[in-house]
Amino acid sequence: MHINKEMKMADVIHMNHHLLHVINRFGIQLGFGEKSVREVCEHYHVNLNFFLEIVNTYHDQTYFPVRELQGFPVGMLIDYLQKTHKYYLEYKIPDIERIIDKLSDEKDYESTHLILLQQFFHDYKNELTNHILSEEQRVYPYILALERALNSLDDSSCSPCVDYSIDQYEEEHDDVESKLFDLKNIIIKYMPSPRESKLFNHMLHELFELEKDLNNHAHIEDLILVPMVSQMELKLEESNNRRT
Amino acid sequence: MAHLSVILFEPSYLIREGIKTLLGNCGITFSMEEYEQIGTNFNRLLDKIKPQVVIINTKLFNGFLIERKRDPDHNPIIFVALIQHETTDNVLGQFDFVIDTTFEKQRLIKTFEDVFRACYNQLPENESTSLSERENTILKYIALGWTNPEIASKLYISAHTVMTHRKNITRKLGIRTISGLTVYAILNKLIRMEELEQGNKI
Repeated sequence: MHINKEMKMADVIHMNHHLLHVINRFGIQLGFGEKSVREVCEHYHVNLNFFLEIVNTYHDQTYFPVRELQGFPVGMLIDYLQKTHKYYLEYKIPDIERIIDKLSDEKDYESTHLILLQQFFHDYKNELTNHILSEEQRVYPYILALERALNSLDDSSCSPCVDYSIDQYEEEHDDVESKLFDLKNIIIKYMPSPRESKLFNHMLHELFELEKDLNNHAHIEDLILVPMVSQMELKLEESNNRRT
Repeated sequence: MAHLSVILFEPSYLIREGIKTLLGNCGITFSMEEYEQIGTNFNRLLDKIKPQVVIINTKLFNGFLIERKRDPDHNPIIFVALIQHETTDNVLGQFDFVIDTTFEKQRLIKTFEDVFRACYNQLPENESTSLSERENTILKYIALGWTNPEIASKLYISAHTVMTHRKNITRKLGIRTISGLTVYAILNKLIRMEELEQGNKI
């Protein structure tokens, strides 16, 4: 069942508590009372339709309304993507690091294994961070400049940084994904677990959650953002050609 | 049993859900990407996802030809036609299997089982999941940061053979990155942590 605007926000969370951190990204916090989704969105000045589409793609992995999502302003998408970046770097990754560090309290746990895990995760974190930084410093500003250029086509200074094109972007996702995949597999299959495997279970649970979130994020980037930007590039090129 | 990657092109939500349920009932572990339409990125999509099975509703299939790649490193993809109405034979000729949505339950299950048996038959027979001695040796050099040509000349084999071994290692272990393979090599005492060159990342 999809989430609709007349449902009570509290019921949404009862139905799927994994949505909590997605909802938080919109600045919405707990304590909904009897308010409906629509009322909560109004209260927080959140675009209701955008909220519903994002939450539903998250709630139902087979639901991905490309046309509807491409209808929102590109700035709104970027704002959401940036908030998910923040969630990864400021909450999720440090959470997992803390779990790994807790392993050092396990007396019987071999230090080599701990070091391996720490270094592997450190490596993964660096790669993810670099990937995110490159998006925030290079890709997103480029897209926003492109949007501004399109909105002010009469302006003479309207060609955005020409040294970038969204085509370059698509190839860049792979290795970060593979590392996370490897880490899960190493823990499930090869890394000796401490006598009490609770910490490992916890860590795996977090890794699966992170992966699911990253997949949703990548879907929005690859299927919504990239095609939108390609369209924008084309439009700008056409109008530039017309002028020359 | 190996995990299968499936892509399904089918406009009807009801049929997509039905197929997933059916595969689950056959006891097949699979991951599925679903599409309502076939886009111009069809071939690129196959290259990216590298599925074992592609199921296509022939309604979506207006006349283009499936590119059958003869990539020696990959098993050929098995193409399954999903039909709901009369389809001309020259379209169906491109597919390995045909499933009619009007089939009764047992026949549907049997056809899907045939499809997946065909997939598994492509895998090397009785493959042991542990690494061979040769693969262990190569893994050790990978973990130490050697390149393919370096490994090849050390072991007097071709770089192509090294690549084949690497692919087999990755498939058997389910580990794709060099850092992941390095962790595996240390855990299994193929190398010691101190052997890693300085600056060689784990």
